[in-house]
Amino acid sequence: MSERIDERELERTLSEIGERLDHPARDMWPAVRARIADRHASPWWSRLGLSGGMVAPVAATLAVIVVAALLLTPGVADALGHLLSIPGVQIYQVPESPTARPNASAPTFAGQRVATAAEASRIAGFAVRTPAALGQPSAIYVETAPVRVTIVYSSVKGIPVSPQAGVSAIVVEFKGTIETQIMAKAVGPGTTLDAVPLGGGVAYYLAGQPHQFFFKDPQGILQPETLRLAGNTLLWEEGGYTYRLEAQVSKEEAVRIASSLR
Amino acid sequence: MEGRPAEDAVLVDRAQHGDTDAYGELVRRYQALATRTAYVITGLSTEAEDAAQDGFTKAYFALGRFRTGAPFRPWLLRIVANEAKNRRKAAGRRPTVDLSVAEDRPSGDTALSPEEAALASERRTFVLGALGKLREEDRLVIAYRYFMQLSEAEMADALGVARGTVKSRLSRAIARLREITADEVTAGV
Repeated sequence: MSERIDERELERTLSEIGERLDHPARDMWPAVRARIADRHASPWWSRLGLSGGMVAPVAATLAVIVVAALLLTPGVADALGHLLSIPGVQIYQVPESPTARPNASAPTFAGQRVATAAEASRIAGFAVRTPAALGQPSAIYVETAPVRVTIVYSSVKGIPVSPQAGVSAIVVEFKGTIETQIMAKAVGPGTTLDAVPLGGGVAYYLAGQPHQFFFKDPQGILQPETLRLAGNTLLWEEGGYTYRLEAQVSKEEAVRIASSLR
Repeated sequence: MEGRPAEDAVLVDRAQHGDTDAYGELVRRYQALATRTAYVITGLSTEAEDAAQDGFTKAYFALGRFRTGAPFRPWLLRIVANEAKNRRKAAGRRPTVDLSVAEDRPSGDTALSPEEAALASERRTFVLGALGKLREEDRLVIAYRYFMQLSEAEMADALGVARGTVKSRLSRAIARLREITADEVTAGV
């Protein structure tokens, strides 16, 4: 340039530059959505490499399911990956939706039945929280090896009694770490998996076809819940504890209930 | 503000309650703004797009911390800008804001004579060169004001500074830009 640019000209030139700034014309949402689904996937994949050690405790009857877990399609693996970031929970993909035993009956809940959340907290050794949105629990059970608290809501207005659980809602709480496995899930193709923001973190919502889940027994062996399958479920971690809400509600409603933990 | 944030607020609320399509709508609405913000910092359009996408992803998972009623746009830009800054730091280089591609884009200069259009183009290239010599924070405040037309309040939110600071920071940045352009004219660049 051979001449000085005055202030107005400078401002006008800056605006002109702004109008010409390049930006992608195509829709960015599919790429962003894929990144949201991918998030946290890598730790899980690296652990999948250790699948021999990971699945060793699982009984032989489950071997087929576990082997199937290694045959994940990339799309499903993306979705599954982030579920595995929930401390203490691992999810396996299976090629077919599992079915419950034909003689399935109303479930029984394991552990010592206690009267209040305070009593459950004392036995469990951590502050047991209940979602205010569900009202008063019908029953609370505490297991100690490993420590796990199950809060049962037999009938909640507006939430149908689940054909799987025989109650309106179940909340399970435990202290999990990435290294521990308290619970596992086997998810068939009819089950959808979504990541949703909750509090400062992420929650995972499983819906559609009921899925099979496993709890670790006192010997450290993963045992399948044989009496029933699990219906719509929200999983999340908060303050070092992992929470699981099972209720036949929408994703939005599940997030609302989860947000009401007190 | 100006009608738009009210609708943003509805989409944000829906996204906070698990409606991913609502978030998709916000991404489409602000992808150009986010990419341009990242571009001003990284100076590379491929990295800018990547930073914008990561910014949108981080913002999605941070929605739970988003303050109800706050404007979404500057909150998002702050996240995207941080993402872009981290990338630039990791790459360990100064950005080279290069709008040569943008210069090829159709413009509204049709009313100008060929000579005037050529002069305007030369001026843009010249100012752009000067812009690349500014510090990142100066470049960003100029970009928010002149490239993205953010309000002062939005600029304050996006930059994470008090509103009173925005004005002084902008005038300081413009003053520096003028100094650079004047120096280069003197030097015969």
